[in-house]
Amino acid sequence: MARLGSALATAIVIVVGLWTFFGLVIGSGNDLGTLSDLANGIRLNSITNLFLQLTVITVALTVLIGIFNLLVVHLGRVFGSGKPFSQRINSLVLVISAVGVIVLGVLERSGVLTGSPAPTTVLLEGVQVSIESALAGLVLFALVYGAYRMMRRRVTGSALLFTLVLLLMLTAALPFTTPGMRVVGLIRDWLMAVPVSAGARGILLGIALAVTVAGARVLIGQDRSYRD
Amino acid sequence: MDSTTQYLTIIIFVLALVITIIVTQFVRRRRTLYVLREIPAFERLPGMIGEAIEQNRPVHVSLGSSGLGSTSTLVAVANAELFYQITRRAVIGTAAPIFTVSDTSALPLAQDTLRRAYASRSTISSAPYNSARWYPGSGHSMAFAAALTATLADDHVGANILGGSFGPELALVAEAAARRNQTIIATSDQLEGQAVARVMSDEVLIGEEVFTAGAYLGSSSTQIGSVVATDILRFLLILIILIPTIIALGNSFFDGSFGRIIQNALRTLSGGG
Repeated sequence: MARLGSALATAIVIVVGLWTFFGLVIGSGNDLGTLSDLANGIRLNSITNLFLQLTVITVALTVLIGIFNLLVVHLGRVFGSGKPFSQRINSLVLVISAVGVIVLGVLERSGVLTGSPAPTTVLLEGVQVSIESALAGLVLFALVYGAYRMMRRRVTGSALLFTLVLLLMLTAALPFTTPGMRVVGLIRDWLMAVPVSAGARGILLGIALAVTVAGARVLIGQDRSYRD
Repeated sequence: MDSTTQYLTIIIFVLALVITIIVTQFVRRRRTLYVLREIPAFERLPGMIGEAIEQNRPVHVSLGSSGLGSTSTLVAVANAELFYQITRRAVIGTAAPIFTVSDTSALPLAQDTLRRAYASRSTISSAPYNSARWYPGSGHSMAFAAALTATLADDHVGANILGGSFGPELALVAEAAARRNQTIIATSDQLEGQAVARVMSDEVLIGEEVFTAGAYLGSSSTQIGSVVATDILRFLLILIILIPTIIALGNSFFDGSFGRIIQNALRTLSGGG
């Protein structure tokens, strides 16, 4: 029975995946002659749109699953036995915040709470954005600590090169206009335009290739995630 | 999408499909032919998980902001395979692995990964589905990073493996892990996250290496086949980049006549006049 289910899932993935792929590539672009005629004949585009709508609805439903998960996990941590105090407090604050925001949102939508700006906007801009900005400011210190850790762990050629480039980039950002600083600025510009750009493209191309092969594996039923 | 891009997309996809099918069959028959190069992160992983189990501490894996139904779908699926291999090893410990996501669409994937890991050890009844946790966050959210730093402390995590989609916020999580002497392996499909991972991880997975997790940790022949297929496509891509580069360089040396020289040489080689 399990094998039958696995085979059925694989068949559905192959058919829906290939249909959607060709629907997106052939059905929603320029006229490709015979290919486009064939696509119109089998209603490739409209069925692809149906699949995409189903995907959007399913993804929207997962938001409800997410909220349910958040409440179940953290209520379990608040009331579960043998949990440390810090864990209970963190989870309790999280549950209260989540429920509070949901209640505020509902009251706002039903017209009970009014005001401009809206209470949820005040919460978002006054609390979340400020806290996230403060955390973003800490990223620099975390990165400097990371560079220190990297050199302390193992002094390798790549670690040295990284530290040198980091120092050069930080030096080039200094607001001085001496001839020496102009040279540093030129080196920084060259580094950004040639090796950094080449490295970034190399990494992105590698990821794109792997994504293509992973997609092909999914579409020919080799992926494990829906077979087990 | 213009018609050239449409044709190119179809050609690339069909090429990838054909190469993957052929190579997988070939590798299945002659498994020992292709030797995988060493990737330090994959060599270190079993030891990291073993240490966490011995300390009775959970292994934490996170997909970041990648999810299903968006451009990061395949990144999420590939990382889920890595996390399956990790959790499959970690479930023999008493502390259940923790799987965090910030995109709700990845939550079913996380729960399914945990289910499969427990099923592979025939302990599916004890699968802790609430170990898959959703922490809200949109895009590269600092709020999600903050939630993860709290998780590392509250749950006394033993080892962290972060994949999927992370931006600079990865630095906060990695720094929190370092402060608590927790090992961390990180990677990201975003360049900023990848750069941070390079600096702050104990071992790093770069670019497409995360897509090879199944081949390295699971060693199934179909997974090895996909690694070989990626390598073949990579060499094809290198050729496609190199040939126009050589022609452009040659044209600049021979005043634009290099292309004609090549054409004549090819005609001669193929028996033409």
